[in-house]
Amino acid sequence: MAKRNVLGIIAVVGIIVVLLFIIGGWYVGTRNRLVTLDEEVNAAWSEIDNQLLRRSDLIPNLVQTVKGFAKQELQVFTEIAEARSRLAGARTVGQKAQGYNQLETALSRLLVVVEQYPLLKSSENFLRLQDELAGTENRIAVARKRYNDSVRILNTKIRRFPSSSVANMMGFKPREYFEIQEKARETPKVDFGS
Amino acid sequence: MTTAGNIGLLGVKGYRTCPARVRRCRALPRPIKILFAISFLAALPFVCFGQKLQAPIGSAPIGYVNDYAGVIDEASKTRMEGILASLKEKTGAQVAVVTVDTMAPYAAIEEFTIELATKWGVGKRGEDNGVLIALAIQERKTRIEVGYGLEGIIPDGLAGQILDQSMLPSLRAGEYGPGLLKGVEAVAGIIAKEKGVDLGPYNLGESRQYTRTSSPGLGMIIFIIILFVFIGGRRFLWPLLFLGGMTSGRISRGGFGSGGSGFGGSGFSGFGGGSFGGGGSSRGF
Repeated sequence: MAKRNVLGIIAVVGIIVVLLFIIGGWYVGTRNRLVTLDEEVNAAWSEIDNQLLRRSDLIPNLVQTVKGFAKQELQVFTEIAEARSRLAGARTVGQKAQGYNQLETALSRLLVVVEQYPLLKSSENFLRLQDELAGTENRIAVARKRYNDSVRILNTKIRRFPSSSVANMMGFKPREYFEIQEKARETPKVDFGS
Repeated sequence: MTTAGNIGLLGVKGYRTCPARVRRCRALPRPIKILFAISFLAALPFVCFGQKLQAPIGSAPIGYVNDYAGVIDEASKTRMEGILASLKEKTGAQVAVVTVDTMAPYAAIEEFTIELATKWGVGKRGEDNGVLIALAIQERKTRIEVGYGLEGIIPDGLAGQILDQSMLPSLRAGEYGPGLLKGVEAVAGIIAKEKGVDLGPYNLGESRQYTRTSSPGLGMIIFIIILFVFIGGRRFLWPLLFLGGMTSGRISRGGFGSGGSGFGGSGFSGFGGGSFGGGGSSRGF
């Protein structure tokens, strides 16, 4: 009778130990997974940051080229300079998105100006710059998609039970999406004028 | 009652449920059925990457040249395949060409090329030295998509230049094969020049306009020579002419190809898993 009790106790203890191992293993696994996802989000964000910076660096070149033909359009140049410095001062994801939108608006105004100067529009320099500009826009679009995808995966994992408990313990907060207004893509049709 | 002859899960002939008292029951035990169901569902997310790509385009590349629209003539295709095989062999860079009737359901060709290039993994993993040249016939759009690793060699401006100067004239005239061929020659020539290799029997004349090395300018050299000659008299003439000849803007052919043996592997074995960041340039024609 006593033997059966001891056996019973050992069995119960054994089961508890196994359960603890399983839960512990799951905990560590989830924790590591969260860290990996978090790092992916960080990497994706730095890619966006890089492209925003690259785009910002293109702007002075563009403005110089336009100034060469249309010096008097001062207002547009001021708007661009302001938008650019505002973007440079942005820190959070939301601020950067806002800064990007404002810069986009200012740039579209600049392009409207360019429309009125056919010589500028067809100049070799401007065409190359336009290509580079379109390139950065495309890169930002790609980087944004990848960033938002990785944020979605991380946020889902943070909010779902049971990984949410681990996330709370580690202090993970859901990350912000990068929302920018994507203007309708226009593939340039270069007209050489026959 | 039993329902013999049912086809159960996975076509395993057996009973739907094990009837009582039947000893050898072929129906799959329940836990295994559940396991199959779960693993099938779990696999679904991996199927979704690039799901907008219509078959057969999204599945696997045929070769370097993937003419789904059927607009490239044989001669151009053969030549392109040869150039690109040689390019891969000698520089490791992988260039793919794809033509489609329509890029739907994608709205912009940039979205199409980035997904396709990433799906095919054009370029070597880690080096990311891939390029995808795409043509959408109905929408009349073309794009050169450049991988991360080649963005320094083929920046967006240069890609636009290649489109404008080499490809668009032929594409506008409806000569898709020759147009794409010129694009391939330009891209391959630029990459080969950068890596310092010679692509064997292929004369990549189309790329010359992009790879001309810039120099202080012949005029400047001549001016300096004349100045020296006037000041120093005749004895400076010969050494200076020699110097001028060496530094003038010559297109250096670079190194020689490695042995130049035949194009090794006969089959096409797919691309290497290179990644893309959205670099390159597009045009409508």
